[in-house]
This record gives sequence, structure tokens and C-alpha cells, in this order.
Amino acid sequence: MPITFKELTHEYNAGTPFAYLALDAIDLSITEGAITAIIGETGSGKSTLVQHLNALLLPTKGSLTVLDRTITAAEKPKQLKELRKRVGLVFQFPEYQLFEETIAQDIAFGPKNFGMSEEEALCKAKEMLQVVGLSEDYLERSPFELSGGQKRRVAIAGILAMDPEVLVLDEPAAGLDPQGAKDMMKLFVRLNKEFHKTILLVTHDMEHVLNYCDHVVVVDNGHIVQTCDKLHFFRDTSLLHKLRINPPAIIRLRDELNQRGFELPCDILDTEVLAKAIADEVKHHE
Amino acid sequence: MNNIALGRYLPLNSCIHSLDPRTKIIALILMMVAIFIPAGWLGYLLIGTAVLILTMLAKLKISFLWRSMKPMLFMLFFLLIINVIVIHEGTVLIAVGSFAVYSEALFQTLYIVVRLMLMIMLTTVLTATTKPLDLTLGIEDLLSPFKVIHVPSHEIAMMISIALRFIPTLIEETQRIMKAQASRGVDMEEGSFKEKLMAILSLIVPLFVSAFQHADDLANAMEARGYVPDRPRTRYKQLKMLKRDYITLSTALLILVLLIGLAWLR
Amino acid sequence: MKKIQVSHLSFGYHKENRVIHDASFSIEEGSYTTIIGHNGSGKSTIAKLMIGLLESDSGVITVDGLELSEENIHDIRDRIGIVFQNPDNQFIGASVADDIAFGLENHRVPSEQMQGIIEEFADRVNMRKFLNSEPTKLSGGQKQRVAIAGVLAMKPQIIIFDEATSMLDPQGKAEINALIQDIHAQSNLTIISITHDIEEVAHSDHVIVLDSGRIVLDGSPDEVLFHEQELIDLSLDIPFALKLQHALKRQGLETKPCTTMEGVVDELCRLRLKN
Repeated sequence: MPITFKELTHEYNAGTPFAYLALDAIDLSITEGAITAIIGETGSGKSTLVQHLNALLLPTKGSLTVLDRTITAAEKPKQLKELRKRVGLVFQFPEYQLFEETIAQDIAFGPKNFGMSEEEALCKAKEMLQVVGLSEDYLERSPFELSGGQKRRVAIAGILAMDPEVLVLDEPAAGLDPQGAKDMMKLFVRLNKEFHKTILLVTHDMEHVLNYCDHVVVVDNGHIVQTCDKLHFFRDTSLLHKLRINPPAIIRLRDELNQRGFELPCDILDTEVLAKAIADEVKHHE
Repeated sequence: MNNIALGRYLPLNSCIHSLDPRTKIIALILMMVAIFIPAGWLGYLLIGTAVLILTMLAKLKISFLWRSMKPMLFMLFFLLIINVIVIHEGTVLIAVGSFAVYSEALFQTLYIVVRLMLMIMLTTVLTATTKPLDLTLGIEDLLSPFKVIHVPSHEIAMMISIALRFIPTLIEETQRIMKAQASRGVDMEEGSFKEKLMAILSLIVPLFVSAFQHADDLANAMEARGYVPDRPRTRYKQLKMLKRDYITLSTALLILVLLIGLAWLR
Repeated sequence: MKKIQVSHLSFGYHKENRVIHDASFSIEEGSYTTIIGHNGSGKSTIAKLMIGLLESDSGVITVDGLELSEENIHDIRDRIGIVFQNPDNQFIGASVADDIAFGLENHRVPSEQMQGIIEEFADRVNMRKFLNSEPTKLSGGQKQRVAIAGVLAMKPQIIIFDEATSMLDPQGKAEINALIQDIHAQSNLTIISITHDIEEVAHSDHVIVLDSGRIVLDGSPDEVLFHEQELIDLSLDIPFALKLQHALKRQGLETKPCTTMEGVVDELCRLRLKN
């Protein structure tokens, strides 16, 4: 079942002089079982949007259906705790949510809050630490001894241990080095392919969208301005330029060559395929 | 957050706003002393009128001053009850069996209420009309004569201004950590004592970690830009006393002298 | 002329584990040097050692002919400015003007001259309109521009950018990168940029590659970036231009090796028109 937003509006401080309309009657459908990138400028409303998915924020107007739950403005927050377990939300710089004495305890914290027994939760912690690519030796160590990238993995393991069906991540690769970022993205692809999680990813990095995502949602000024698959998305870069986002290198090269007289097709996202098209055109140019 | 009135700066444009912060701090101290002079009701009437004029000149609303006093109401109510129980002087106003309320109990409470109200109103006028940074500059300048007895006036001012600068950042961070922990099933309102303790820990520990990170980075940035605590620095913002500052100070002094006179006459 | 010379520099927070091992390199006056390496390779530590925020265990750092020591640490800091990664943690003042003033106050610039200097450098980074703005009202990119203005106002000869764009959104990144390029083009400042952006590396004058505190490659972008296998082994990025050229070669199209996107585009257009 897809995640659907129906004319969802969110206004901060509604009814006060500080009122601010963050989302304006948006309609959106997010495919289940896929990796969807959510992009947009800072302040476009994308953070507000993702915080609705686990009911941290409730709509001011309109509704949202996620898994089998429909959330409207009238919802009682108490009944929503169950949803927080099923939709795992990882905030930006999640390493700042670690607080327990040992890594095992920290990962087990979420599952225990949702009623799992201590024993079961610690077992889950062990399993998830491996999924995020850290060895068992870390279990009894303090999370504060780790490097930045490792801390982030532990924090993500803490969300995964709740066994959510939907995983929402706000810029999970921010501040990591290129290799760390790549490993992180590969982890999400694996969670999607092997564990069949629906993944939503807020990101600024178009290389990541190109290499690891299936669909793209563009938020601008509280509105959804585009929803499509990535092939379609990278065909035309005018929207990206309007949002002042640098397209991925391969797309920039394609556009630049086409501007200088090449006639490369616009649906190539793979370097080898593009190289073949370029080689053909250079060799057979009359 | 938007409801807190006590200590909040209101960016208005009034003659009180444009006074030198040192003037406002000294005048506040003079008026505070005046409040504690036992000059009777006439004295409080005088100060009360002065405070009202001040409020009007500062373009503040009475409702704003009222909101800054609200947190004190509970304390004052408590005080009234204690006074009623303890003070057995003056005439009996109400008597229910062996329990009696004496007039002096009400009068003494009223005295304290009036003093406290005047003090809070004056302080609110100061903080509402003076930017926190200007207040710090004022404190620094007023403390500077005490440098001879090794009061680190500059360091105190620097610490206060950095603390003020980071309050919004830390509030934002607190909100983010709360949301992140709520996503891990933390419920700040419900649960057993142990669960609540964990909920608080899950907020406090990350907040401390991040505060230390801020402090560490900030110390590096300050040092890299040539800051050495005990080395003399120049200052961008210079405070300057104008005619209106001297008029304000004279007025405050006059009120104080008048009250001393009143007290002496009694 | 050599602006900075580092020889046999070693440093460790604890005696057992060294963060920097026997590092030696030099930086030319007016050049644009990039330092790359994965997180934890010692890049930021080297920057902190160069401005004396950390004290080395052994080795010599010479800036502008002055050997870094406890006595002349302030003279060295007058010559080197640094912009750090986190925009929030280096904004010291209550407003943009106050923040630019902070360094001037430390350097005992007379109060009456400050307003002029503050306005000049706020203008330089295009923040004149925001002089009275508080940091909470500014974007990350704007805060970094203020940090740059604060550094420029102290008239340094060298500026180090320690991953100054890594916490910014794409718009902020673009703004700051353009500003750094502009500063480099308009002045004779020596620029050292610690970065993960391989395209920035390809456009620089000089690249230093760090791994576990050791300098493993040091030279011009071409000299360094053509060591592709070594870069891959160090889990570093290689420029897209090189990846494409390999793919083209597999398709039977030989091109003149080149590390920048513009270079490849020019080369391909030339080849196409030649045929």
C-alpha cells in the first residue's frame, strides 16, 4: 500500500502572528518498496513533510495514509505511538541521539520503548550492529569512543532494531567523506532489496539520487513541484538549475556536450552507455 | 516560547530604548534602593507613578508587564497564607472559631506585593528596552573600575554574551533531540518513574555532548581569530552618555532623595 | 616563494597513537592548495598545527620565514586566517557586524576605524544588508560568508578553509565555492582548502593527499590524480572526467588525459570536429 498525502496542509503557530505555512495542500503518493529521494532547498518544507510520516507532526488540514493508518488533524497523539515503531525516522546527524553507556544498550533502547523484552532487544542489537557493518566486538563499548561515521551507523542500527517497515532518513550522508557516504547509501540499497523496506531519503546529493534512488519528489516553497522516476527526472535539468542544485557529473557532461553540438540521448544514466554514445558520435561525425 | 515576558527584549523604538545601558542599570539600582526605603504609602505612590510613566515612555503595554509578573503570583499567594497564619497583630478582620485573620497580616503582605511588583516592573522595563548584548556591555563598563581588585569584568561580559548567543542554538538542538528520541518511542509525559528518568537522560546526555562540542569548536575559532583572554582589546561598540542620560539619572536620584526625605519626616 | 614550509612534523594526542607522522611539505605563495584524505586521516589536525591551536611533538613549521613557536604564535596567527566547518560554532558576535568586529577587537584596531572596515568586508562577501542580523536569522551559507569576512578583515596572507562547505546545502556550497574562487582570483592570498570535492581538487594548483597521518601523494593535480589506483586504494574519489576517459577507451576512443570536466568537453568537441 503506497503512502499517500491528501491535500495535506501544515501551518506552524497557526492562529498567531508567527503563523507560517510550511506545506500547502499537498497531494503525493510514494511507492511502497522503493527508494524515494526527497529534494528541495532548505526551508522548502521537506523536513516538515517527513515528520508527518511517523506523526511527530500532525496535519493542520487534510490527511495522510501510511501503512494502514490514516492520520488527520483530529488524531489523538496517544494512539500514534505504534506508528513510530513501524515508520523509523532518522534525523540529520543522528549520532547526537546516542546517550547510553554501551552500544548494545543504545541500540536496544528503541525496541524496549516499544515493549520488547531486555533479552530480545539486546539480541536484536547484536543483529543490527552487523547489518550496519560493525563487528560484535563493539557491543559492550561506549558509543562515545567511536568515530563520527561509526556513531552514525550505531544510531541507524538503533532505529533498524525497532524493525520498521518504512525507513525515513534526513540527509543520512551529510558530513561523511565520499567513501563513508557511498557505504551508507549501499546500506540503504541493501535494506531495500534484502529486507524490503520502503525508504524515503531527504538528500542534497544528486550523485546519490542518480546512483541509489528509484523515484524523486521535489518540494519547493511548500508545494510538490515534481514526482517521477529518476530516468524521467534527469532528462531535463532546468528544474535543478532553478533550484540552484548542481546536477550529477554525468548529466552535466551530457548537457554540455549537447550544447556544443553533440546529439546524445537524454535517457542515459550509466557512464559506459554514455561513453559508447559519445564514441559513436565522435567516430561517425560527418 | 513566545509567551515568556520576563527578561525578554522587545525591539521597539522609544526614548527609553535609546538610553545608555549604564544609565538604565544605575537608575534601576537607585530605584531598587528607593523601593526598600520605608517611606509609607505616599512613597510607593511616587515610585508607582514613576514606573507607569516609564512604561508609557518605553511604549510597553501594561499587559506585557502583567505577563512578566504572572509566574510570581503563586509565590505571593503562598506568602499571604503564611502571613495570615503567623501574624497576629492589628484588628481582627475575620474570625472563624479559633482561626482569625488580622489586619496587619494583610497589610504586610500587601507591602511585600507592592514592593515585588514594582521591582519586577522596573526590571522588565530594563530588559524589554535593552538588547542583551548592550546590557552586557553596560555591566562590563560598570564593573571595569573593579579591575583593580581583580574582578575580571571583561571575561564576565564575554561569558554572558556567548551564553546569550548560544541559547537559541541550544533550544533548537533540544527540540531536535526530543523529536529524535520520540521517534525511538520516548514518551516525555507518560510512563513509570524509571521510564521518565530514561526519557530525561536521553535528552540531557546528548545535549551535554553537543554543548561540549560547541564549546570546543568555539574556543578554537576564538583563539584562531586572535582572542587572548587577558590581553587588552579595543571595542567596536562604544557607549556614550548623552544629555538624556544625565536627565534620567538625576530624576532617579531625585526620587531616591525624596523618599529618604519622606522616611525621615515620618 | 615558499609561503609555508612544514618539515618532519609529528603529532599525537596520546604518545602511543600518532595522528601525524613525519609530514613534510611546502606551499607556494599565492597558490591554491587542496588537502584531501578520508575522515580521520589527519587533515584538520594539520590545519590546527599550522595555526598553533595544537602543539606538535616534533618538526618545524615555518610561515613567511617565521618559525612557529610559543613566542611568535600571535604573529603567525596574524598571517593565517581559518574558516572552520560548522557555521554555527564560529559565529561569536550577536550580529553580523559584531562578529566581523570580534577579530578587529582582538587586534586592537581603534574603535573609530572599525565601522568602515566592517562595512568594507561585509560588502566584499555581499552581506552588507545583513549587518544587524542575528545568527539565527541567517542561512548556513550566509554564516560562512560572515566568517570569511571576519577572516579577511584581519588582512591575512594565507586562508585555510577546513571543509568550510561540508555542512552547507547545495546553494550554500555553490555560494561559498564561488566566493573562495573569487577571493583567490582577486588577491594574492595563499589558499589552503581541506576538502572532499574532487572537482575542486582538479582545479587547484597543488594537491596533498593524507592517509593515517602520512603524506602519501604531493604534487600538481595531474601528478596526483593520474595515480588513480592509489586513490581508489585510499578509498578516495577520482574525477568523473577520468572515469569517463576510461570508459571511452574501452569503447575504442583514445583521448588526451585530462582531469577536469571542461578539458574533456573541449577534447571531445575537438575530436568530433576533426573527423
